[in-house]
Amino acid sequence: MSKTKKSTIGHYEILFIMPNKFTEDEAKTIIGNVEKVIADNGGQISYREYWGKKKLAYEIKHNAYGYYSLCEFDLEKNSLAAIDQNLRLSTDVLRHQIVIKKAKSEAELAKDKKINAKIEAKKAVEEKEAKDKSKKQAEASESPKKPAVKKERPTDMKDLDEKLEGILSAKDLI
Amino acid sequence: MNKQKTKECYFCVNNLEVDYKDTRTLRRFINFYMKILPGKRTGVCAWHQRKLATAIKRSRVMALISATHK
Repeated sequence: MSKTKKSTIGHYEILFIMPNKFTEDEAKTIIGNVEKVIADNGGQISYREYWGKKKLAYEIKHNAYGYYSLCEFDLEKNSLAAIDQNLRLSTDVLRHQIVIKKAKSEAELAKDKKINAKIEAKKAVEEKEAKDKSKKQAEASESPKKPAVKKERPTDMKDLDEKLEGILSAKDLI
Repeated sequence: MNKQKTKECYFCVNNLEVDYKDTRTLRRFINFYMKILPGKRTGVCAWHQRKLATAIKRSRVMALISATHK
């Protein structure tokens, strides 16, 4: 209930877009600036990802393309607003979005691993079953055809010969 | 006639988290007009449908998915 019990540090993730008017190198310096803003406010960056130039789903301020960059950091909750404001005012960043990212504990990760292993095992079993089924079906569909074809032809010929002979002989008799 | 198959939640079955950056999977739950499909149709459970809706809206904000079809 008390405020002191809760930890005031949260784990966040920021994704921001830089306009296309900059070159790739300039975009990278802007990323450096953004990271500096985060660091200045007491944030600790734990993960970076640069997506590069991407086409935007719709134009933002007449920009059809933009450079995307992703960053994860730990920060005190109070100083989040400062970063948000700073980025909103800057003209180098077209748009940004800060999202709370849940950091997984070791127990949760272990649980995930167990579940994933189970899922994989299940999938493997299902695949095997599907393969066996298709094999059986293939065998079932192949097996009756081949002997049937082989058997029918010779018997047919023999039967026909016999019938013909029979008919011919019968006609002669009459 | 009951044509519908029994559907399972995509995220529960595969033990996945809904991520607003993963547009390829989000696209499965949006129709041609870029509208969010109901969970009843896609089979997503109510808990994940709520996460999915916010994720789609977030990716719309960041221009990863368009909000309308052209």
